[in-house]
Amino acid sequence: MELLQIWVMAFFTLALFSFLYKDNPVYKLAEHIFAGLTAGYQVGLIWDTIILQKLWDPMIGAGQWQLLVPGVLGVFMFARFWPRISWLSRISLAFVMGTTAGVFLVTELHGRVLPQMQWTMLALGGENGFAATILAIIVVIGVISTLIYFYFSKEHTGIFGGAAKVGIWFIMISFGAHFGYTVMGRVSLLIGRVQFLVEDWIGSFSTIF
Amino acid sequence: MEQIDRRWVYLLVGLAVVIPFIIPMKFPVSVSPEAQSFYDAVEALPDSCTVMLVFDYYPSTVAETEPMAVVGARHLFRKHCKIITLTNIPYGAPSMAESVTRRVAAETGKEYGKDFVNLGYKYGYVSVLKGMGQSIESIFPTDNSGTPLSELPMMDSITNYRQISFIFEVADNATADYWISIVNAGYGVPMGVAMTAVMAPKYYAYVGSKQIVGLLGGMKGAAEYEILLGQPDTAFRGMDIQSLVHFLIIAFVIVGNIAFFVGRAQRRKGRAA
Amino acid sequence: MRTAAPVFVAFASGLILVVAFFFNEETTTIGKLSHQLLDWVIIVGGFTLLLGLVSITRVNWAAVKRRSDGWIYKLFTIIAIFVTAIPSVLSPDWSPLFGRARGSIFDWLFNYLQAPMMATMFATLAFYIASAAYRAFRARNAEATILLLTATLVMLWRVPIGEALLNLLPGNIPDLINTYVMNGANLAVQRGIIVGAALGAASMSLRIILGIERTYMGKG
Repeated sequence: MELLQIWVMAFFTLALFSFLYKDNPVYKLAEHIFAGLTAGYQVGLIWDTIILQKLWDPMIGAGQWQLLVPGVLGVFMFARFWPRISWLSRISLAFVMGTTAGVFLVTELHGRVLPQMQWTMLALGGENGFAATILAIIVVIGVISTLIYFYFSKEHTGIFGGAAKVGIWFIMISFGAHFGYTVMGRVSLLIGRVQFLVEDWIGSFSTIF
Repeated sequence: MEQIDRRWVYLLVGLAVVIPFIIPMKFPVSVSPEAQSFYDAVEALPDSCTVMLVFDYYPSTVAETEPMAVVGARHLFRKHCKIITLTNIPYGAPSMAESVTRRVAAETGKEYGKDFVNLGYKYGYVSVLKGMGQSIESIFPTDNSGTPLSELPMMDSITNYRQISFIFEVADNATADYWISIVNAGYGVPMGVAMTAVMAPKYYAYVGSKQIVGLLGGMKGAAEYEILLGQPDTAFRGMDIQSLVHFLIIAFVIVGNIAFFVGRAQRRKGRAA
Repeated sequence: MRTAAPVFVAFASGLILVVAFFFNEETTTIGKLSHQLLDWVIIVGGFTLLLGLVSITRVNWAAVKRRSDGWIYKLFTIIAIFVTAIPSVLSPDWSPLFGRARGSIFDWLFNYLQAPMMATMFATLAFYIASAAYRAFRARNAEATILLLTATLVMLWRVPIGEALLNLLPGNIPDLINTYVMNGANLAVQRGIIVGAALGAASMSLRIILGIERTYMGKG
């Protein structure tokens, strides 16, 4: 990696880490530049991959004039900036929401609810031995008690409340596992940055000094 | 003790991360059954088949996810599989897919357009995932750099998911769920998910329901796959640091709790007096 | 018209996609129509991302014009937007610095500024989680103790030294954690959450298609 690039990266990395000590102008500068770069990145990507490749080229180059429909719906989005015609943007939003809802309505049931419930029950078959059956029973109790815990339309009292209590214990085990994994994930990200600072940036000192 | 300045905690974490760079320990990494089954499923793919290697991650998580993308590309290229890369993430993922595959391709002498293609990004994961079920070319008329798919020899025989043997998803967000519920459930393409550690607990449910062949969870998952490939790399080196910081955090939990209980006992004693 | 048109559009587009699920999407008319709609969503959605960009520019520019608190930083945001955006939309035929290819300004800014900054933002979370472990992770009651013990065991199990330590104890603890914690209790809870969330998403989708759920339209 070139020296300039390494030092630019190191400057912005340290600028953001400086917030750990306390908020400061260098951190704020880096943070605002980051926000701008992220927004700017979208322009190049959308312009090229969508406006040109999916709309302009097929419409103008290949005469696919039906693409005027999504083109116009896309332009309607900008109507939000003018209160008198802002309702037009609802049509575009409704199109995106309706289509996405159409896909979700079936795929959430077909791709998630059914297979998850199916395997909860199939595992009870006892074909994989005693230990696997015990595990399957634990899973069934865990799934049902978790669902009961998150069901707030009925008061958690009596047997229902007892089941919800069992649900909390299961949830605490799962959240504990989640916490353990989250620590691991966050530390990994820190390792990545420290790896860069130690190996690349401090490594570059020998070239300069 | 209970109200110690948080910056002392930060300093200790910083030191715990830096020390293993100076004194490497190289502890052995064991392989979990979930990583083993993932590896076995890829290993069992027929040579020269076509696989989608999906870069559904942001630059924020590269330390965890990039080693997984690298092992995926390495394993698939070793098996002479054709790789199609794509992403549902607008920020940086098309560039990362380009750089990772080109780097690994250079190691194995693979050629762009013949052995691998980077489709890049298109908006809307639902439309992209569902749309490719009918035609990949209609969703991605060109590759990431604007070359029409019809000009790339590798794509001659690829129309839709029917020609895809496996999906190797590398993710740091919920798009992995939609690959499972839309593509795996709808089109029956087998898949494995390599993901950030934060996501991993959730995906045990998908392994249990046999919707994914296995999972790689975080840097440890990547290190496990590196071991299986016989090529320890970045993730494996990171495991020493990971060990030390985990021990430090466990120590924080213990010391924090001792301080809390001692403080509570003293407060009770004070009130009683 | 202002409400009826969007409700009709959501209903019609949603219904087509639902019905198309039950037909061959490559050979039937409804299958092809559904594919066309999905293709169009990509285009319309692209404009929404550009809308976000116009919004962020307007908000920041207004702050700069008013010279409100921190306006100088907001000016840097605007400069960063244009420095990335303008060269990326210019034709690479004019200069290799334009467009999105390797060696372009866009690519340079992404690799050496944006990517490391994004990674650093998330890396700082390691410090916060360590601080939280020390200051807030308390065994106050039975539930919190279960959470704390599981977290500690999983943290040990997921690192080589911790796993070696657990292996010194009798009873193959790492294997028990994988089987009964991760593939047992954890799997059950995650399954319950997945099923609950999926049912919620499906019912919300139905409400959108039927026009009962309209909050996405906003006011006015």
